[in-house]
Amino acid sequence: MEFAFTDAERAFAGEVREFLAMNPVDRFPLDGMDAGYGSGAHSRAFMQALGARGWISMCWPHAFGGQARPMFMKLVLFEELARAGAPFGPLAGSWQTADAIIEYGTERLRRELLPAIARGEATFWQGYSEPDAGSDLLALKTAARRDGDHYVIRGHKIWSSHAGIATHGLIFCRTSHETRRSQGFSMFVVANGTPGMDIRPITSLTGGVYHYEVFLDDVRVPADVMLGPEGRGFQALLNGLDSDRFWGRFYKAPALERVLRRLVDYANTTHVNGAPLARDAHVRRRLAAVAAEIAGLRLLFYRAACLLRDGAPITYETAVAKVYADELGQKLARLGMEILGRWAPLRAGSREARLDGEISHAYLTSLGHTIAGGTAEILRTTVAVRGLGLPAESKRS
Amino acid sequence: MDFRPSPAQQLLISTAREFLRKRADTPPAWREIGELGWPGLLVPVELGGTGGSLLDVVLLVEEVARAAMPGPFVPSAVVATSLLARAGTLDQQKRLLPAMAAGERVMGVALLDDAGARHVDDLALTLDSRGRLSGRKLFVEAADVVDALIVVARSGAEIALVLVPTNRAGVTRVPLDTIGPERTFELTFDGVAVAAEDRLLGSREGLAAALAAGALARTAEMVGAAQRVLELAVEHAKTRVQGGRPIGGYQAIQHACADLVRDVDAARGLLHCAAWKVDSGAPAAADVAMAKAYAGEACLNAARRGHQIFGAIGYCDEHPLHRLHKRILAASLDYGDAALHLETVAREIGLVYEPDRPYFRIL
Repeated sequence: MEFAFTDAERAFAGEVREFLAMNPVDRFPLDGMDAGYGSGAHSRAFMQALGARGWISMCWPHAFGGQARPMFMKLVLFEELARAGAPFGPLAGSWQTADAIIEYGTERLRRELLPAIARGEATFWQGYSEPDAGSDLLALKTAARRDGDHYVIRGHKIWSSHAGIATHGLIFCRTSHETRRSQGFSMFVVANGTPGMDIRPITSLTGGVYHYEVFLDDVRVPADVMLGPEGRGFQALLNGLDSDRFWGRFYKAPALERVLRRLVDYANTTHVNGAPLARDAHVRRRLAAVAAEIAGLRLLFYRAACLLRDGAPITYETAVAKVYADELGQKLARLGMEILGRWAPLRAGSREARLDGEISHAYLTSLGHTIAGGTAEILRTTVAVRGLGLPAESKRS
Repeated sequence: MDFRPSPAQQLLISTAREFLRKRADTPPAWREIGELGWPGLLVPVELGGTGGSLLDVVLLVEEVARAAMPGPFVPSAVVATSLLARAGTLDQQKRLLPAMAAGERVMGVALLDDAGARHVDDLALTLDSRGRLSGRKLFVEAADVVDALIVVARSGAEIALVLVPTNRAGVTRVPLDTIGPERTFELTFDGVAVAAEDRLLGSREGLAAALAAGALARTAEMVGAAQRVLELAVEHAKTRVQGGRPIGGYQAIQHACADLVRDVDAARGLLHCAAWKVDSGAPAAADVAMAKAYAGEACLNAARRGHQIFGAIGYCDEHPLHRLHKRILAASLDYGDAALHLETVAREIGLVYEPDRPYFRIL
């Protein structure tokens, strides 16, 4: 066993910290809200700064313009960015999409998108959920019909994060009807602004916009923007979900560490009845217990990372880590609300708001985390059925 | 980063698992354990041991607890051995460690007394200037089978560590009746004479290191026992049929099992990382504290959830579940309870504290 970073990994962490010191994160303009996952807000300017350093494409093969650096460098980058509270919102999605394009993308997708992704210009939204297809994704109705060397997509997607500010959508839809319910699905990479696409914001319970719904009214796209095998998209999506869960939550442990650090500072400097709040045994113990949980969470992710790195099979590891990350985030936000007391509900920007209103925002956004990207219920079932071999509940025929 | 045990550690684990499986119904004698080399893991090679790491010990203790094997492994092969290796005189080491490594001698430790002994000033057992030990110790594990004890006492303003054979005049052992499988005793010392050569060097660093090893060994017990609870619960969920199908087909049970996985996996990650860090020589007090506090909560939750999954049958004496549960319970409180370890963590994450008295606790 070995729990330390290699010299090369440590050196890269130092490089990232240096970059962040030279480029303070609050100087980058934001174009989309922070949904509290730990990846900060959406900032294309920050993505472009990462692109200029060559860090978005650093792990791609040389043939695709990358530097073929080991996967763990991405983890190092994520940890440093999350600890600094940087707005790297679209980064995980960019990496995921680029990896899929490198693995099985068409010539057109490779040519048109990889350089733009590497520069931090192309970013993506996921068009998976529909009004009547949430946890039961296969109930989706959006369909693409072939028309010569084009497809025509028609349907309605919802809960697509950052769809209004990203450049392309990953639209998952039906391309044929097969006997098996899970077959006949395909994925398309569709540029925002394609005629027939109407993207509308959904105001969330925070008052801000993170999600969009997308109406697809006969959106005509060339056949070679299909990503992956025709009709076998569901299996590809399922395989991708494991790594989506991993890359979409990996940075949560360092991000929670940052929030914890702020709460510790707050408890040290806020006096209640003449003594620092930090001396309250209850506050102390709960903050310490959450610190231990964050450390445990981080190790769950690193164990999954080692499996991904070594090409070992993942059955339940990312599902366990994702549920834990999201529930622990809720727990920390709840504890933060208690520590801030009567000031806790004040919104960012309000007079008297403490810790920049970050805690009330985290409290609200974290409510969505156990739903987005696979609900905690779906994922616990995944752990039980795929990880432990318990029998699947009988499906509706 | 790598979470896999080394080939030598894998061999240690598989050998232990096989041996413990064969001996499930007839617990091995300590001598047999000695032949396997387990008590010598922390003994240096030149003194007859194998010079293993704390991580090796932790991996072995997980297996021992998973198999619910009784015996004085933690007090003798982990804590007393660590104390002698770090705070013993060369003469004591030569006299005791080879025999302990071979399984010919078993040593215990007497740490706690009436005050709970969280601070040196609280120790009630005293070693006076004439070298006489007076007072009592509580919760001395396996005192009926050990040949001698390393006793922590107060000597003026200092801590003294002394070797006391259990059959020495003035030593009385009275068993305490616990709800669990552990055998624990009250030890009374009535002016027991301690010779100069029986005093350990008494370094606080040595004691702290031995206590950290004890805390991690207890953590390993919790993780190993909770792993067994998980295995038993999953097996039960697959085979127990109600309403025409295995209960593991119901989401309520599936989700309870999924939470067991999280509890065990996260606790094990912290355990292995802390042991690795201790072995690396880096400051690891906070890692040990996190591992112990986390496992105490998570593994006890796992045991309690296990009872819910098993239903009525888990309530029976002959069912293994309660023994695993009680082992976790005892381990969670021994070598520092959650409150103590969380205080260490609280300081590590930077929470201010009153600098009233030096932060040193026996446990």
